[in-house]
Amino acid sequence: MRKILLSALLSAPLWVLGQGFQVNLQGQKQIGMAGAGSALALDEASVFYNPGAVTFLEKNSVSAGVNPLLFKSAFKQTGSNVTEDVKNKIAPPFEFYAVWGPKSNKWKLGLGVYTPFGGLVDWGDNWSGKYALTSLNLKAIYFQPTLSIKITDRIGIGAGFVYNHGDVNLQRAIPVNFPDGRSGKATLDGTGSGYGWNAGLYIKTLSNISFALVHKSKVITKLNGGSAEFEVPGSLTSSFPAGNTFNAELPLPATTSLGVGIPLSKSTVLAFDASWVQWHIYQDLSFDYATNTPALVDTKSARNYRDGSSFKLGINHQASEKLALRAGVGYAFSPVQDGYVTPEAPDADRYILSAGLGYTPTRHFEVNASFFFEDVKSRKQKNIETGLDGTFKTLVYAPGISLTYKW
Amino acid sequence: MKRYILNSFVAAIILFAAACKPEIETPAGSTAGQANFSKYIAVGNSLTSGFADGGLYLEGQKAAYPNLMAAKMATVGGGAFTSPFFSEEHLNGSGYISLTALVNGTPTLTPVIDKLGIRDAAKHLDKYSGEIQNLGIPGMRVDLAFDPTFTFSAANPYFERLLTDAQVGKTNYFQFIQGRNHTFFSLWLGNNDVLGYALNGAVTVPTDPTTALTDKVTFSSLYANFLNVLTAGGQKGIVGTIPDVTAVPYFNTVTVAALLNAAKAINPAAAAVYIQTGTGTIRPATAEDLIRLPFQSEGLFGKPNTAGIPYGLHPLNPIENKWVLDKDEVIKVKDYVNSYNSSIKSLATSKGLAVADTYTYFNQVKTGINIQSVGINAAFITGGAFSLDGIHLTPRGNAVIANVFIDAINAKYGSTIPTVDITQYRGVKFPDK
Repeated sequence: MRKILLSALLSAPLWVLGQGFQVNLQGQKQIGMAGAGSALALDEASVFYNPGAVTFLEKNSVSAGVNPLLFKSAFKQTGSNVTEDVKNKIAPPFEFYAVWGPKSNKWKLGLGVYTPFGGLVDWGDNWSGKYALTSLNLKAIYFQPTLSIKITDRIGIGAGFVYNHGDVNLQRAIPVNFPDGRSGKATLDGTGSGYGWNAGLYIKTLSNISFALVHKSKVITKLNGGSAEFEVPGSLTSSFPAGNTFNAELPLPATTSLGVGIPLSKSTVLAFDASWVQWHIYQDLSFDYATNTPALVDTKSARNYRDGSSFKLGINHQASEKLALRAGVGYAFSPVQDGYVTPEAPDADRYILSAGLGYTPTRHFEVNASFFFEDVKSRKQKNIETGLDGTFKTLVYAPGISLTYKW
Repeated sequence: MKRYILNSFVAAIILFAAACKPEIETPAGSTAGQANFSKYIAVGNSLTSGFADGGLYLEGQKAAYPNLMAAKMATVGGGAFTSPFFSEEHLNGSGYISLTALVNGTPTLTPVIDKLGIRDAAKHLDKYSGEIQNLGIPGMRVDLAFDPTFTFSAANPYFERLLTDAQVGKTNYFQFIQGRNHTFFSLWLGNNDVLGYALNGAVTVPTDPTTALTDKVTFSSLYANFLNVLTAGGQKGIVGTIPDVTAVPYFNTVTVAALLNAAKAINPAAAAVYIQTGTGTIRPATAEDLIRLPFQSEGLFGKPNTAGIPYGLHPLNPIENKWVLDKDEVIKVKDYVNSYNSSIKSLATSKGLAVADTYTYFNQVKTGINIQSVGINAAFITGGAFSLDGIHLTPRGNAVIANVFIDAINAKYGSTIPTVDITQYRGVKFPDK
């Protein structure tokens, strides 16, 4: 008797993936064109954008690039007069590609290592949404060996196997207070892996207008035995046992893209991509803790994502033999429905603007640079699960550069 | 060199991005609307004073909902807001209880007895002189605010400390709040007119007027007097309804089921918990009978009397009436609360005042709500909203209630007082050992 059981002190930490975590930065030329280009055999980044186009690349090549990304998000609680910003942290999406095949043969091999999903948001330890999230660092690195084959002189198919290595570090405050008044803290840290594939079809018509159909499969990434650390007042350690672990699943969605490439002149080409991102697989997020207590129960949170989509239009202009100029615009529809927006991915529909240039000093070397900008629309939301109520507004800036060696 | 280029590249991005921060517009702008917050006064009881954890002390005073509101009013023309704070040297004020251990869910509550603001052997509290705008007095009631004998001003230590020696025993609360040249007021009073009765297990002690139940008609007419003087100069203001006293942990922590389970753990044959009701009937308790929180630390339950009959487990040794708010008493208390609230609401409406419906709000808290990612409910200790006395609010609870008032003010007067960030305020402090 006289026992007052601790009721559920918190719903366990959780994270979500949004469009905000889909990183559309996989090749400097395509980035310069807002991410369009699946129907162009532009360069070795076709390993990602369209494996079917890889076999149409003229040369063998290796390239490496990086796009330091700044995710600038701001939040204002409903009714408040204070705007809070995320800290300036630079996420490093990168890409590496190699393409090789015997000259004048019908096939090519490719390898791509790239980061199609990721997120780096740090709201600080004492912002007004700290009990939902203080910081998230999520990285998904895809490794993709690929084979691309010319069926005819104008049709190519290709496919690659995808292995994903995922890394997650999520932190949030727990609404229990130490004697000095500060809050508790939860840190979830884990790595996981998943598998999938990427296949594409490339068709170049007699009029030289090209078409692409590409499907990138979903990659269910399983996190097993991640560490779940809780910093709580000593009297609550039995409720939040030390050395706890968790299992969870990260469903990374499939994407189906339809692309068109239209040559406007000998030196100018237009590219258009429409993508359907099949986020509907993300219906709920479950956390399974190795050790449960009345205060720390396994959770299953509804996410109810719908499918997202994006439309991108880019132009590539070869200004001289050595210099190429690029620009692009795009628009993406968010998969996150009203009531499910979170500070992990303060997602909304967004505009995309980009520019890029390429410089080819010698036959073997090429430098490409890009600048990618996203304006994520302001969104006023009250989260159904957490009650976090306010307006999010996000801008994304990503300059990038890559080096290529061709032979 | 390469490193230098890389570093300047990174620095350039950060500078660029710092200059390109996203902006969030507030469409309504910043306005006091039809209200004037330049001199706000808060009239009320313990809740208004910042009383918490069974005492009045500096941390609680600073987190009192009127103080949190006044700080936000400052952005829409609000002026200074003064409160009768205990000094830093005497920051523990009247003393209070703290949670010093929590073993297997069983709390140990220990009084804090250092740095008290007690000025003499008779336990009078430190006097506070000077103008104050937080006029909340722990224990104040609507009926006793009009105390014609003025004895309450001497008997209530929290009231006594605010009065000059000449005023003690010569004034009542209704007189005390007048003549303060306010432009805006809040009035959250009346809880104790029913809570005093309920906290004593619905036993009115003839010699103790704080255990009486204020007559419904009397309540309404006295409350009207308050509104008349507070709006005499055409001032705008807000009134708060009275929470259902049965929504607080004080009455919902020691449940009949928990007692019976504890008894069965020792003696599986235990069949029922027996109580003595307000009418003197002795009967098995049901889930509708509420037991007061202090019963758990009294050590009475199961204790055999001289005849060897265990306390509370046999009709011949039932739980005494004063520990129990039995089913019929609960109905009676609820009826009074509803009556008081309908008076409060209709009087406020006739005066064109804003109403903070804390009655409705606390009922939501009882079920449990998530506000800004903080789960809040009426559970003792872990619920986050209620302090260790099971009745008064934690700083977090005060922040939540401040927003209920702010939202009602903004809705009524078209003002844009910013809301309080509740995540900056704590719940119960847990011992770190």
